[in-house]
Amino acid sequence: MINPLITRHFFLVVLSVFLCTSTFAQDKVRLKANYVKIMNSEVYFDLQATAKVDGENVNVPKVELLIFNIVDDEQLELGKVTTNAGGKARFTLKDLSSIKPDSTNTYNVEVSFAGNDAFSDASKSISFKDAAIEAKLITIDSVNYVTATLTDKSTDSLIIGQSLKVQIQRLFKNLPIGEEFNETDEDGTILVSIPEGIPGVDGILAIEVILNESDEFGTVKTIVKAPFGKPVVDESTFDERTMWSPRNKTPLFLLIFPNLLTFAMWGIIIYLITNLFKITKS
Amino acid sequence: MKNYDKLLHDLAPQKFGKKGVIWTISLVVLIVLGIIAYIDQIIRGQMVTNMNDYALWGVYISNFVFFVATSFVGTVTVAILRLTKNTWRTPIVRIAEIISVAAIIMAGITITIDMGRPDRLLNLFIHGRMQSPITWDVIIIPTYIMISLLLLYFPLLPDFGLLNKHYKDQKPTLSKWYGKLSMNWTGSEAQKEIQLKSIKIIAILIIPAGFMLQTIDAWLFSTLFRVGWDSTNMGGYFISGAAVAGVGALVAVTYVLQKVYKLEDYITDLHFDKLGKFLVLVCLIYLYFNLNEYLIPQLTSKKEATTHINVLMEGQFAPLFWFVIIGGLIIPVIVLLFKQGRKPLPMFLIGLLVVTGSWWKRYLIVTPTLLHPFLPIQGVPEEWRHYFPSLHEWAITIATLAMALLIITILVRYVPIIPIQRTADEQKELELQLNKNTTK
Repeated sequence: MINPLITRHFFLVVLSVFLCTSTFAQDKVRLKANYVKIMNSEVYFDLQATAKVDGENVNVPKVELLIFNIVDDEQLELGKVTTNAGGKARFTLKDLSSIKPDSTNTYNVEVSFAGNDAFSDASKSISFKDAAIEAKLITIDSVNYVTATLTDKSTDSLIIGQSLKVQIQRLFKNLPIGEEFNETDEDGTILVSIPEGIPGVDGILAIEVILNESDEFGTVKTIVKAPFGKPVVDESTFDERTMWSPRNKTPLFLLIFPNLLTFAMWGIIIYLITNLFKITKS
Repeated sequence: MKNYDKLLHDLAPQKFGKKGVIWTISLVVLIVLGIIAYIDQIIRGQMVTNMNDYALWGVYISNFVFFVATSFVGTVTVAILRLTKNTWRTPIVRIAEIISVAAIIMAGITITIDMGRPDRLLNLFIHGRMQSPITWDVIIIPTYIMISLLLLYFPLLPDFGLLNKHYKDQKPTLSKWYGKLSMNWTGSEAQKEIQLKSIKIIAILIIPAGFMLQTIDAWLFSTLFRVGWDSTNMGGYFISGAAVAGVGALVAVTYVLQKVYKLEDYITDLHFDKLGKFLVLVCLIYLYFNLNEYLIPQLTSKKEATTHINVLMEGQFAPLFWFVIIGGLIIPVIVLLFKQGRKPLPMFLIGLLVVTGSWWKRYLIVTPTLLHPFLPIQGVPEEWRHYFPSLHEWAITIATLAMALLIITILVRYVPIIPIQRTADEQKELELQLNKNTTK
């Protein structure tokens, strides 16, 4: 005779083991968060969720991420976003004043994922200070330069020895200019010459000065419009009569000559057919 | 009148014998098989063909180009020989006109067969862009069909008049038909004047029309930036090639008709001799254009062009390429340079060789270029790099060739192969000249 209590305990143990293994079967999500500030424009966090599934790193799509502002052990919910097919999401702030820094003027943000059937919960915290880049255009001895000054807004001090990237916006990939590393001098400033002859719409070049993924300040970018480019001449033949345009924009010579030939030939053919009737009657 | 009686006896259309009936039935069977294959192609789509992303033009377009080329025979033999007053042309012009009509009608049908959605044919006229050579092709083919039909019909009027009288008692129904087709031809001076004037106009008109047709056909290829097609040589290359295909077909058909209808008194060795010399001339011109087409890219050594030519000369298409060049052009030139080679039987064999070479030449113009993609693409399925027509394509293509032969057969059955009236007039002129000479 089997004791019913033993049976019940045995059943509970089996159930517990099953539940535990079910939990262990979940894959662990890894979160990445980058803070990006564009001067006089938006502030956003680029987020990415990945997981290691069967030894392979895969993007985790369609998961909801919650974004919190941590201020002295207090969690203030800023909002939520859902990752796209590439496991990426962007959470945009109106401006940096939408979140509060702690007592050391450091902003603390936490991104968390609550977990689901396939993936376990995860969170990622980032901390950054507010920095600013002020860029100006100057011309020295007929040579055009972009100069940029990097400041720590939390202490209102210049940032010295920090490397900034300078590049011109292009259609496919931005064009770097200046040195590979343009370090700020004792005035927190860099000076980079702008090469001549770079094409731009109406001669305007959009020059970006970037502090890229700094541990302390995140990514800070400023864009300055420089009228130092070579104006792009619009060579579009849109709405013109060309060999490649639609039928209502056929070049005139192609409308005139083939139609003339066609009508002439068919005119003669009709004349020849009338000759047949003339033969019948004569 | 005795003269007319003999001519009518010899040259009036004759009923098919046993061989003729078997020949016609065989053609009908091939056509029916082709129609079945075509219906299946319409139902299942062009997946029944072996055309793919690379070889998007296959045997249908090769066949279309062949028909267009062959139709040029009307221009070269009829119009050019007429305008240059070569009197030896008389017994062969009608055959050339018949081949021309059959070939150009089949060219129109073949291009429709190549269309995935033939029900949208009208859209080519409604939405066609004048910038596209395809639109020019759509215009020139019906135009050339009309001109070819008129070129065949006008010289037939007196013959229809004669046949109307000839069959009045024996076959009244047939006579009635010939009467209607003769447009009440009485042979009056007024009728003759209008007829001769019209023939002269058509003979002039068909020359630019024929040149346009062949050139447009060439431009369908040369306006594309494809290796093997992107050439300024293409217009002349196609015109000379068309002359070869046309004269080759004319030689072969003329021989068959001479033997079947026992026309040795009318189509003599002299005609084959002249046609042989004419074929040598057009073959040499075509060889010259071939030399331009293949030698210049070799000398300039553009990578893609060299690869393309190597594929033709040494690669997978080499046997076909050398058959076309040697069999279809060089051997005919060598054989026809000898008087014995210009006798009817060798001429017939050479004609067949030339026509076969001409057909495969079009296949070589179309296919190898398509197998070299315009843009290099990675990971392309291996089967895309090769093309050989499917059973459906062969059945349909053979049916179109059979259809062309059936058109010729039907026309030959009801239309005098040799112009009766013109032959009579020429004989009369000859007799008058002989009488004059005797009196002197």
